[in-house]
Amino acid sequence: MAKTQSQTSPVVILAAAGLLVVVAVPFLFILLQAVYPQLGRGSLAAPFSALAAAFADPKLIGMTGNTLLLGVAVALLSALVAVPLAVMRALFRVPGALLWDVLFLIPFMIPPYIATLGWIMTLQPRGYLYQLLGFDLAGFLFSVPGIVFVMMLNAFPVIYFAVSRTVEAVGARYADVGRVFGATPLRAFWRITLPLSTPGLAASLLLVFSMAIEEYGTPAALGRRAGFDVLVTAIDLRVSDWPIDLPGAAILSLVLVALSFGAFLLQRWILTRKNWQTTTGKPQGGAKRALGPWTVPVVALFALVGFVATILPLLAILATALSRTISGGLAWQNMGLNNFAAILTDSTGALRALGTSLTLGVATALFAGLLGAVSAYAVVKSRARGRGLLDVLTILPSALPGIVVAVGLILAWNQPWLPMTPYNTVFILLLAYCCILLPQPVRYATAAFHQVGDNLEAAARVFGARPMVAFRRILLPLIAPSLLASMLLVFAVATRELVASVVVAPVGVRTISTYIWRQFEQGSVGLGMAMAFVTIIITTALPLIVLSLMGRRGNLL
Amino acid sequence: MMTTFVRASTAAAAIFAAQAAIADVTVYTAGPAALIEQLAEGFKAETGINIEFFQATTGQVMARIEAEAANPVVDVLISASWDTATDFTERGWLLPYTSPNAASVPDFLKTDTAVAQGVSALAIAWNPNSGTPRPTEWSDLTGADFNNLVTLPDPAQSGATFELVAALASSQGWDLFNGLAANDAIVAGANAEALNPVLQGAKAAVFGAVDYISLNGQAKGESIEVIFPASGTVIAPRPVMIMEWSQNQDDAKAFVDYILSDAGQAIVAGQNLMPARSDVAANRPLIADLTILPIDAAAVYASRGETLATFAETFAQ
Repeated sequence: MAKTQSQTSPVVILAAAGLLVVVAVPFLFILLQAVYPQLGRGSLAAPFSALAAAFADPKLIGMTGNTLLLGVAVALLSALVAVPLAVMRALFRVPGALLWDVLFLIPFMIPPYIATLGWIMTLQPRGYLYQLLGFDLAGFLFSVPGIVFVMMLNAFPVIYFAVSRTVEAVGARYADVGRVFGATPLRAFWRITLPLSTPGLAASLLLVFSMAIEEYGTPAALGRRAGFDVLVTAIDLRVSDWPIDLPGAAILSLVLVALSFGAFLLQRWILTRKNWQTTTGKPQGGAKRALGPWTVPVVALFALVGFVATILPLLAILATALSRTISGGLAWQNMGLNNFAAILTDSTGALRALGTSLTLGVATALFAGLLGAVSAYAVVKSRARGRGLLDVLTILPSALPGIVVAVGLILAWNQPWLPMTPYNTVFILLLAYCCILLPQPVRYATAAFHQVGDNLEAAARVFGARPMVAFRRILLPLIAPSLLASMLLVFAVATRELVASVVVAPVGVRTISTYIWRQFEQGSVGLGMAMAFVTIIITTALPLIVLSLMGRRGNLL
Repeated sequence: MMTTFVRASTAAAAIFAAQAAIADVTVYTAGPAALIEQLAEGFKAETGINIEFFQATTGQVMARIEAEAANPVVDVLISASWDTATDFTERGWLLPYTSPNAASVPDFLKTDTAVAQGVSALAIAWNPNSGTPRPTEWSDLTGADFNNLVTLPDPAQSGATFELVAALASSQGWDLFNGLAANDAIVAGANAEALNPVLQGAKAAVFGAVDYISLNGQAKGESIEVIFPASGTVIAPRPVMIMEWSQNQDDAKAFVDYILSDAGQAIVAGQNLMPARSDVAANRPLIADLTILPIDAAAVYASRGETLATFAETFAQ
């Protein structure tokens, strides 16, 4: 027994090494940059000199407050929309369930900056809504509620998928016990099923909060006009406004990290207070109940959310992509396939960008998924010392804005004394995406591990399985549905990641997002939207094909 | 097994060798993608030298150079703001070079260390379908016809817009901007974010649009007109610089020569930018056709923070 105590499992070592390279190294260099303003030029002069100026900024408190407000509001509104849908999906036979799952998956595939631009083009004066129905909603869109609404539409699926899967795993079995002892169905749900689903809910709320405070596109496009400044927009200004203020950006990023870390501690406190294990090796009754008279209202609710979150933005993107000119508006003579033709004939390098991004997306999903699984294992299941630190490393990236990860990676990997470096190769993009997206598989796998009983691994070890074998043969398959779902999301998001790509893309390499963004920058909005539409179709279709080939579609979504 | 290994190693070595041979000159550029692509292609056809480029906004290019400063990669930098050239010269980061092809570039578009590739100017971009009267002067946009219908790029994000704000403020004070703010004009991010609502018709005009982007849109059939006020505007020369740390200085110089050659300047003109050479024609208004507001660059940039603060205050509701 003493022997197993002193040996650290190879799974834990793998997790530690991966987290060190992917997260700790760039973060360390951001810390160093905050302390040593001249770090980029290889000098350690004037340590701490930038801190005073950054914290003396009178806008800092307001921006921090706005950031916090945005994160909490988006998380709460997302939960308000997602939890009822998820519970119905998990416990009842909802007609067209698979269709709703796919519809709710698509908001992930729509890059947030594209969705926001779609909403602007739909709701602004003389936008598509006005052209079709004669009124606009610009006043709502360019306001704080408008920002929260648009960001919620992008984020609520995180909670929907996490909670519906957790509730499904908890199943009706425990509630049935409550019913036997006389609880009403509602009471059994509130007192038994929902509390047991806390890991999924808490993890996904944390993820949405972190996504919202880190998101750049929507607050930048809508917030500036609402006079609503957040930390990310201020960080971007420091990094892109000459003279570049890398130390200032690094310091503001640390404030952002602190916010996210606070949320993380809260989540961990919730998760470690009780035992959430519901997957014990005993068979689970999988039967779902009929909705009965509630069928029509429930289906209407699913349809409404699907329409607003997915169909409307898709239509706006498609309409813009099909327009010959933006000023021509929604008129038949203004519609044409020129933009799609330009992409398919590769006259603007679009196909090469697609190939690069799709390859990177697959590679990121594999690496981040593996690292996420071993990290979650190390944190939840191992008794290794320092696993709290590993847990911190897994949550760090979700608090780091993409642009800061990018700068940290350049600072770290472009040191002249390094014998070899991924910098200026596509591997730097892979590192950046793995770092930024790691929290997705980690949170999903963590929630899944929390519900797997310790006795399963112990049983494997009793029968002689080494730690790596027990991990691969027993634990990994049990969390595979959650993990695979998160990897598909990682694939989709990595394929269209913008902010870090713009800064670290090696010379001569174009990704989908930098391609789209350059079209916008040079006034070719239609071409950019056509590329976005093609990307959304591909990133939605590929995971669905993968899932149906594996024949486990119903389980995974 | 062994042959597979040998084959894989050979392939890997070939990839690395190919990578080493790819970039003879690395160019970081803030400008239209089509422009650098065509310049790279033309240069390769003429000299056989490869160009690899990284293209982004001026700010993003600078962030990358700043982060890379300990181990720089870039040979040639093309910025959209002359201010960068001044700043980099002061830091001693630039290689002095005067291209023989720069002889007909006007003196104010070249220094010992930088030369303009092309020039853009700031203008009113007006949508003729907006139902508003055609503006001819900056001050027209403060009138009742344009109430709630004007966008401005943010001078904190667009170097050229900053110069326009600074030049107009120093020549006629802040009244113009107070009038715009009172007329509910909105400050809308970078150039593209200011132009898009005008194209769709949500707004009627951009105050201080980068001319070549709107001219390119017009060429594609967009309902947009580019108007240069007679009272004056500012130009944004796009400086080309060779970094002093470049390992490929001869190739870099050859690339600068090519940009300023007849062929290179024709490519610049093809993007609706003004060519830097005064003896190259273009199908658009040239510097001689415009009234250029005088700018004391040293003074203007020394008080940049105050100017931006006053601007932000003016437009904060």
